[in-house]
Amino acid sequence: MKASKWLKRHPVEAVTVGRDESLLQAARQLLNHPETRDIYVLNEAQEVCGHLSFRRLAGLFLAHQRPTHTRRQLIERITPSTVREYMDEHVLCVRPDERISDVLHQHMERRVEDIPVVNDDAQILGVIRVADLLRAAIEEEQAETRTGDA
Amino acid sequence: MEILLIGILLLAGLAFGTLGSHYFGVPRVVGYILLGMLFAPDLLGGALGIDAIEWTQPMVSVALGIIAYLIGGSASLTQLKRLGWGIVGSTFGKVTGAVLVVFLVVGLGGQLIGDIPGWTFALVIAAIAPTTAPAAIVAVVHQYRARGPLTTTLLGMVAIDDALGIMIFSVVLAIVGGGAGHALPVALWDIGGAIITGIIVGFLAERLSRRLHEQELRLVVLVGSIVFLVGLSEAWGFSALLASMALGFSARYFSGATSERLFEPVEQLEELVFVLFFTFAGMHFKPDVVINYAPLILLYFFARGAGLIGGAMIGARLAGAPRVVAQNVGFGMLPQGGVAIGLALLLAGSPRFADTGTLIVNIVTATTLLTESIGSLSARFGLRRAGEVNQSGWEKGHEGE
Repeated sequence: MKASKWLKRHPVEAVTVGRDESLLQAARQLLNHPETRDIYVLNEAQEVCGHLSFRRLAGLFLAHQRPTHTRRQLIERITPSTVREYMDEHVLCVRPDERISDVLHQHMERRVEDIPVVNDDAQILGVIRVADLLRAAIEEEQAETRTGDA
Repeated sequence: MEILLIGILLLAGLAFGTLGSHYFGVPRVVGYILLGMLFAPDLLGGALGIDAIEWTQPMVSVALGIIAYLIGGSASLTQLKRLGWGIVGSTFGKVTGAVLVVFLVVGLGGQLIGDIPGWTFALVIAAIAPTTAPAAIVAVVHQYRARGPLTTTLLGMVAIDDALGIMIFSVVLAIVGGGAGHALPVALWDIGGAIITGIIVGFLAERLSRRLHEQELRLVVLVGSIVFLVGLSEAWGFSALLASMALGFSARYFSGATSERLFEPVEQLEELVFVLFFTFAGMHFKPDVVINYAPLILLYFFARGAGLIGGAMIGARLAGAPRVVAQNVGFGMLPQGGVAIGLALLLAGSPRFADTGTLIVNIVTATTLLTESIGSLSARFGLRRAGEVNQSGWEKGHEGE
């Protein structure tokens, strides 16, 4: 199925934050949307320029609860900054006319749970949740089983 | 036989370390070292037919390359700028203090006591002295729920001091390893060649990894680049340590904000590397060396401690750190860990240090055992004095619940 068609059936708005906002702001935004696992970072032109996962944010805020740190995590812990410095710049997006099955593998490999749909201007149109894909796959399988039984 | 032994060292070392930590409350590295000691040629190893440990050298070189890569990439330029003068000044102070005091005390000791090696030996072991064990400090901070300016300073210092330590060690090695006559060109190539090559390989590795979305494939690129660089350093005669650090720094620099993907896969290897380092160091254990050179071991231990504590306190004061930091910062710097052991193992495998390499490994291993225990007590003392114990997060004031 094409991404645009999926979005029409399962419309999910993206949670976004400006790249010069604080990490605290990003965390608050995410906590206001409990089902969302990724927050998308926008530049001044409202283009997607990065993303931050829930795990990454939780790891940064709960660092003092961890008994072990790498040197990199130590530095992150004592030099808090804006979203810009912690976001992952490599956002795997899908275009509205692309098939979900063509991009799903890459997203699963990168362990992200949401797939952003963007237009040619890198502006975000919505989000495809892997949880919704899973729900749809299960429903489809159950429907097939019922058809077979009948 | 060697492959079988490595397997045994990894599994039994982990079991020893974990059980020791669980039942006796000692750091895991103590178990790793003691297990390695059992397999030393002078102990059980001799009976098992292990009469040489030179075969460990290529693994030590690669493992040190991995650690140097992670150290080089631990901070971005902007993060370094944000650290603040208090952390930077304390770190420079403690590194300078440890190097100077150990060099002078061990060097003078060598003049006064006949069988202690000379000034080159003093210089090399002084270059190992400033490295610390971040894991030990983080464990104390976590255990005592410490929070405050001293805690922040300590965490910042242990995150960056190994980088300074490795730079000093590499420069010292370039100077004493060059030999008389052509020392300067060799030293310049040793350092400059390493930095330039490391930066180029780092740039290429970062660009290549951008095209790879799977973590497993990125790990191949990253470890491949480290091994390639370590091999190239042997062939072209520049410092593998500096080159690997430059690789990490350059990969981090060129990756922009997205550095996690370049380091997280390699960080998974860090404990594996340290188990190898500590068990290999244990295998260098020679009872007669430890007994004969016990005064030198104690001399190094006290000189290092005095240099670290005094240097950190002076550095913090000069940098204008708060009083509570300047008065206590030195106490958190004693634990010595995997980086020091790795550097000592590197010397043990170098023909230039054929006479003193084993002695250096035994000194560093023995003092690591001492500092891993005393260092935690000392760090706790400093944190208590600063009033930063039990100040962390939502558990503040809720101990025992």
